[in-house]
Amino acid sequence: MKMYSIPYFFGQTFKGLWRNKLMALASVIVLFSCLVLMGSFVLLLYNVNVNIDSVVQLNEIVVIVDYKATDEEVQEISDSISKLGNIAEVTFISKEEGLESERSRYEEYSYLFNELTEDNPLPDVFTIRYKDNSEVPNLIYQLKQIPGVSKVNNRIDIANDIENIKNGISFVFIWFLAILFVVSIFVIINTIKLGVEMRNKEISAMRYIGATNFFITTPFVIEGAVIGLIASILAFIAERYLYEFVYSAIHENYSIITVIPFSQVSLVLGIAFLCVGVLAGVVGCRISLRRYMKI
Amino acid sequence: MIEFNDVSKIYPNGVIALEHINLKIDDGEFVFVVGASGAGKSTLMRLLLREEKVTGGTLRVGDYDLGTMPNYKIPYYRRQLGMVFQDFRLFEKKTIYENVAFAMRVIGEPSSVIKRRVPTILSIVGLVDKYKSFPTELSGGEQQRVALARALANNPRIIIADEPTANIDPKLKMEIMNLLVKINTKGKTVIVVTHEKNIVDQFQKRVVTIQEGHLVDDRVGGMFHEDV
Repeated sequence: MKMYSIPYFFGQTFKGLWRNKLMALASVIVLFSCLVLMGSFVLLLYNVNVNIDSVVQLNEIVVIVDYKATDEEVQEISDSISKLGNIAEVTFISKEEGLESERSRYEEYSYLFNELTEDNPLPDVFTIRYKDNSEVPNLIYQLKQIPGVSKVNNRIDIANDIENIKNGISFVFIWFLAILFVVSIFVIINTIKLGVEMRNKEISAMRYIGATNFFITTPFVIEGAVIGLIASILAFIAERYLYEFVYSAIHENYSIITVIPFSQVSLVLGIAFLCVGVLAGVVGCRISLRRYMKI
Repeated sequence: MIEFNDVSKIYPNGVIALEHINLKIDDGEFVFVVGASGAGKSTLMRLLLREEKVTGGTLRVGDYDLGTMPNYKIPYYRRQLGMVFQDFRLFEKKTIYENVAFAMRVIGEPSSVIKRRVPTILSIVGLVDKYKSFPTELSGGEQQRVALARALANNPRIIIADEPTANIDPKLKMEIMNLLVKINTKGKTVIVVTHEKNIVDQFQKRVVTIQEGHLVDDRVGGMFHEDV
């Protein structure tokens, strides 16, 4: 490509957009809508995952030490646990700490705990946070094998159910996103096709004077990219306001739900919008020009 | 030089458009190709433009063998040709100046060259003073002169004119033909496809006659073939 062709290409692009402005506007609106929907689903999915992860983190394994275990035996259990894999964090709660915790929990009846100080019925306990859900059954088995461990409590079934729901939601969302992307491309294809049809005579005359496919198609490809670019910028701005509105509504009314601030995702979302928008524009354009690439 | 060597063209639907054509056109020649509708003239043009490929024989234009030439070379080959059509095929939304300039822009000529060359070409066809006009503001004869100017823009070796006088006022037909002759005297090969007897007879150039896909007559200083 010669450098002095660049102003020509951009001139043709904007002439084409202006000449075909209604269809171009329709394309921008549809692609914009698809991008906002895509962005909303991605952000929803992301927030759902973050919330599910925080629920899953609450699941911990509780190892109850035999009531009669001596301090040495407790230390041995602690050593054995620390040697196991898939462990993120271990916290030891002694029977005394457990009693204090219960006393402070039921503060108004704390006098009832006074009698238990001498003959504490609570066991020593280890709480364990693990790294990988899928390896939990193995971890439980290993914990049960440690001498002096009386019981191992866990909520792995709940964790697994949550994991399955998370995967299911992701699967549905990904398909939905793919369908939206295909719809966007089809809209662009129609817009560019209309532009090409309008200029069909001109294109055929260009062929006779020796224009290459590159020369003929580049203004259309830039046209598709510009449609994608405009749609992605508008979609990003709309997404930001929409998200911040939802964010403040949830933040004020449902503090239990974690919502990621927009600033944390804005860069990735912006780049993704730009890439998806421009890609949809260019791919749609290339597909619609395929028939006209014949010499 | 253009060389048809036993060229045949059979379309996929089985129609035989041209059969065993042998024709040699030297550089700088002026040739009329005549024939009735459906005789094969258009196919001959399409083969020369490499819109269609020969199905038999070989067709060479200068250094290009059109039968084996890969598709990506076609635009570069076409830059050696200047095409003039009966329906002009001008860019209606461009001015006369832009129409001619565009042909140069397509092949990547810089603006400085375009600015220098376009007025010269427009002066050859006598349209310098109308450079700001749009094609729809011109008469048929003037539009065809613009088409000629555009065909000349990239200094092609060969000018192919397909019925160049068909849509023109009878008084202006000679004007266009005189221009083509003038271009020919400057060393360009000119091929004119026509079925206008009086024009062919008046200019007394080489006449190639095609009938039902066969080359039936080829004579220098010839007249319009009476059987056509």
